[in-house]
Amino acid sequence: MWRSIMLKEWLKLRWAFSAALVLNAAFCLQILLDLRQQLAAEHAEMVWYQMIHLHTLAQHGMRYAPLLTGIALAAAQFVPELLGRRMRLSLHLPVSRNRMLLYSLLAGLLLLVSVIALIALLSAATMRYFFPVEAVWAVQRSMLPWFLAGLLAYLGGATVLLEPAWTRRAILVVVFGVLIRVLLGGRGYDWFTAFWPWLLLPAPLALTGVFESARRFQRGGI
Amino acid sequence: MSHAIEVRHLCHRYNGRSVYEDLNFAVPSGSVCGLLGKNGQGKTTLVNILMGFLEPASGRCLVLGEDSHALSPAVRSRVGLLHEGHLAYEFMTIAQTERFYSRFYPGWQPDLFYGLVEKMGLAAHHKVGHMSCGQRSQVVLGVIMAQDPDLLILDDYSMGLDAGYRRLFLDVLHDFASRANKTIFVTSHIVQDLEQLVDTILFIDRGTITRMGLQEFLAAFRKYVFHCDHLPELARDEIVYGFERRGRQVSVYSYSDLPVVKQHLAGLGVDAGDLCQAPMSLEDGFIGLMGKY
Repeated sequence: MWRSIMLKEWLKLRWAFSAALVLNAAFCLQILLDLRQQLAAEHAEMVWYQMIHLHTLAQHGMRYAPLLTGIALAAAQFVPELLGRRMRLSLHLPVSRNRMLLYSLLAGLLLLVSVIALIALLSAATMRYFFPVEAVWAVQRSMLPWFLAGLLAYLGGATVLLEPAWTRRAILVVVFGVLIRVLLGGRGYDWFTAFWPWLLLPAPLALTGVFESARRFQRGGI
Repeated sequence: MSHAIEVRHLCHRYNGRSVYEDLNFAVPSGSVCGLLGKNGQGKTTLVNILMGFLEPASGRCLVLGEDSHALSPAVRSRVGLLHEGHLAYEFMTIAQTERFYSRFYPGWQPDLFYGLVEKMGLAAHHKVGHMSCGQRSQVVLGVIMAQDPDLLILDDYSMGLDAGYRRLFLDVLHDFASRANKTIFVTSHIVQDLEQLVDTILFIDRGTITRMGLQEFLAAFRKYVFHCDHLPELARDEIVYGFERRGRQVSVYSYSDLPVVKQHLAGLGVDAGDLCQAPMSLEDGFIGLMGKY
């Protein structure tokens, strides 16, 4: 049964996932080429000064990439379920609603985490090529809020799309928008590392939000 | 007698407007029941409540003994749903559709699925989203039949289907209904199709429901015709339920006998000298009872 749900979700997600993989890999490649170009054009000391002392992250330009990936995957997965209220087909399957939804979300999260892992891996490899390992870890820690923004964007997108009432949808958009704005608001290295335990709190709350939206969808908005 | 569907004291409101107040009816197991009503009378709302996609304001709606909005997976596996517009996963191919559903139903019958789908002559890798409405309806029908359900709930199965596909649908439904203890609850805009299928009719009108056997209704409700040049303004009353005028011919619908209707029309100032009973289809009866709009 879980294999059937995974098959369905993969059929919906495969093009968005493939596009996200290619685009994010291209972003990472561009950062590698930009760094190489910078080091070729300027003194290495200048690049070091900018990156380490002035906290200019080479990856800052792609901070929205996990967010956009999360939104794209949520849309690819749940918009087809909303057209003609097609979600009713899944909700009538002989499996509990929460289990069905959990498998669906696991499929989406698995693909999203794969894209995030690719970004993390390519960023780490790029940084390690030019800089010491301490700089690699500093970049990884600084990118974590962006990755979390991607996860929240995916869960928030699913929650908003499944919610049947427009007023609640609007409120949810504002709530998730504020949370994501906070995660993407910082600059420089480690600006959010001290608050990491608090940053993780919205994720389980967002997960319960998806289940509540699906429950309301099934009951016609009650 | 066990009931596949039981509705007790059902009340529902939509945007503050009452759709039903104290609706009661039951569909016995093994019967084929058609729900008829004009547009806007709450047919789709009732079907959505039965399918578990709307929770009623009050009252109970039992499907195979369980509340329709909280059906267990075990009962859901015994209920085949056909949604309006032949809802299907359009991003799947025929083979993917079969593979997807087969893992949910222990009694899944692939031969039944492919038997229906192969009539269209499409390849197994044909995408559902690229099919015509009629072709998609066959895939949906194949999915429902292969589940081997005990209860079918069909919401306007005839929507968008030409005569051939409608007949094909009816053939399959007839075969299904002929098997022991299988129940069908169906709505359709093509009333004459239901005449060939159902044994019980539920008329829904302004929040009330009337349940009748098909033959009982066709025997009791009658169509009379007469010809006249000047017909005064007539209104529905306790004898005459409906009128229809086409040229000089006037059709009158009533539960009463010919002499009673004749006398009643005379009392209304209508000259119905040649009044006689005429053959009546279910569609005629539906229009006569419910009106055209």
